[in-house]
Amino acid sequence: MDKKRLSSLMPAAALVLGTALSGSVLAKGPALEEGHEYMVVANYPNNMHVIDLQSDSLYKSCELPDAFGPGVTQMAPDGKTAYILNNHYEDIYGVNLDNCEVTFHAAMSLQQNERTKAIFSFAISADGKELYAVQNPTMLNRDHYRVQPSRLAVYDTSAGLNAKPVRTFPSPRQVTVMQTGEDGTLYMAGAEIYKVDVKTGDVDVAIPSRSWQRPLYAPPDVLNAWPIQSPSKDFTILYTTAKFQDETYNLDTADWIYGFMNVNLETGETQTTDFGPITEIYFSGILSPKDPNIVYGVLNRLAKYDIEKKELVAAAELDHSYYCIASNHEGSKIYLAGTFNDVAVYDADTLEKLGNIPLPGGDMAISTSQVFIR
Amino acid sequence: MKHLKAINNKAQLLSQAVADDSVEEVVAMSSLAGCTATTDPGWEIDAFGGVTSLCQPMEADLYGCADPCWWPAQVPDMMNTYPDWNKDAMNSKEDWRNLGTVFPKDKN
Repeated sequence: MDKKRLSSLMPAAALVLGTALSGSVLAKGPALEEGHEYMVVANYPNNMHVIDLQSDSLYKSCELPDAFGPGVTQMAPDGKTAYILNNHYEDIYGVNLDNCEVTFHAAMSLQQNERTKAIFSFAISADGKELYAVQNPTMLNRDHYRVQPSRLAVYDTSAGLNAKPVRTFPSPRQVTVMQTGEDGTLYMAGAEIYKVDVKTGDVDVAIPSRSWQRPLYAPPDVLNAWPIQSPSKDFTILYTTAKFQDETYNLDTADWIYGFMNVNLETGETQTTDFGPITEIYFSGILSPKDPNIVYGVLNRLAKYDIEKKELVAAAELDHSYYCIASNHEGSKIYLAGTFNDVAVYDADTLEKLGNIPLPGGDMAISTSQVFIR
Repeated sequence: MKHLKAINNKAQLLSQAVADDSVEEVVAMSSLAGCTATTDPGWEIDAFGGVTSLCQPMEADLYGCADPCWWPAQVPDMMNTYPDWNKDAMNSKEDWRNLGTVFPKDKN
C-alpha cells in the first residue's frame, strides 16, 4: 500500500522550474487557505489538481494511487477532503487537499472473485460523515461470469484506507450520478430520479423520467455522467425530448426540446422544465447561482438560455469540446473542464473568454470538476 | 416460441423469463450506462444526422468514450479489456500517434 502515500505536488513555481523539484521536497505542498474558492479536477496519468479561482491559476497538484478513470470527484462539506472514483471505476479514494494524503479508500469489490464498478455513482452526505456508492458487481467464475444485483453501499468516511460498507441495500440498476440533500436524502439518477432513505434503503421516485406522464411528450433521453455540486445546491440533469402537436404523434411536426430535471438539495423541491429548442448537443448544464432563470449548457459551444422565455440568449464558440461545466459561487465566471488538459474560463454574463488554465499531465477525459470554498 | 427450442444456457434463461411472465421487466434505456452497445448516433453522425455536434476534435472524446466502455465497437474498452491502451498517449491531442489497434487474444 506504499502507493497510497501521496508524493508529488506541482505548484506554479515548480512548473516553471521544470522537474528539478522532486516530490519528496514538495511532498505536502501549500495547504488550502480558509475561505478561499478553489476548483478540483483530475487527469491522466493520475493527478488531482487544485485551481485557485481568484487568480485562475494552478495552485497545487496531488498524485493519486492506482490507475486513472473516470476521475469523478465529490467535495466533502469541510472543503478539505476530495473524494474520487478511480482505478477504472473500481475504487474510491479520499484525499486531504491540504497535504495530498489519502485518508480514505474503499474498493467497490467486496469479494475476491468479484469485479465491481461504480458508474459515476457516488455521493457524500451533507454532514460529510457518510459516503454512498451504487455498485455493480460481476462474479468472475472459472468458466463463466455472472452479473449480480446492484447494491447501494454506505461507508463511514472515517473508516480509513480499508473501508468496508456499514450498510448495504438493494439498488435499482443503471444508476449513475448521485447527490445528497440537506435533510440526508440521497438522490440517484437512473431510469428515474430516485430518492433513497439511507437508513432503511427505501427507494422512491423523486422525479419520474422513464415513467414521466407528460401529455404529448415523447420519453426523455438523458445523459448523466457529471455529478456537479453546484453553488446553488441544485442537482440538475439535462434531457432532450419531442413534443407532438396532437394525438397523431407525428414526429415530422413535433417540437424538439431541451430541458432539465432539478432537485433543490436544500428544500427537496423538484421540477421538470423545458428551456429551449434542440439546436446542438450539451453534455452537462448548470443553473446560474445568481439568476435561477438562467441555465448554461456545454459541449462544442457554451450556451446560455433564458428559461422563462425558452430562448438562447448567448453562445460562445470554444477551442474544442468540453464535457463538464462549473460556476464560481458568485455566478460571475463559468469554468469548462474535461476532455483535454486545459480548463477554459468564461465571463458568465457576456460569455467572453477570460483565459485557459493549462494542467500538467494528460487528458481530463470524463473527470468531474468541482468548485468549493475551503 | 413454440417453434423455437432453447439449446444453450442463455436461450434457456430467455425461455424461463417468458414462462415466468417477467419479459415486461426488459425496457429500453433512456439513461445510458456502461458497455451499452448503444445505437445512439455518436462517432459517425450526430443526433441531427450531421457532424457539427460530434466532439471536436474527435480526440477530445477519445478517452471519455474508451474509459467507460461507451462505444465498445469503435474504441477499445479500457474499463476491463484494454486498461493500458493509452499508456503511451496520456495526452491524446499530442500523443495520438502512439495509440494502436487492438485484437482479441488467442484462447489456446
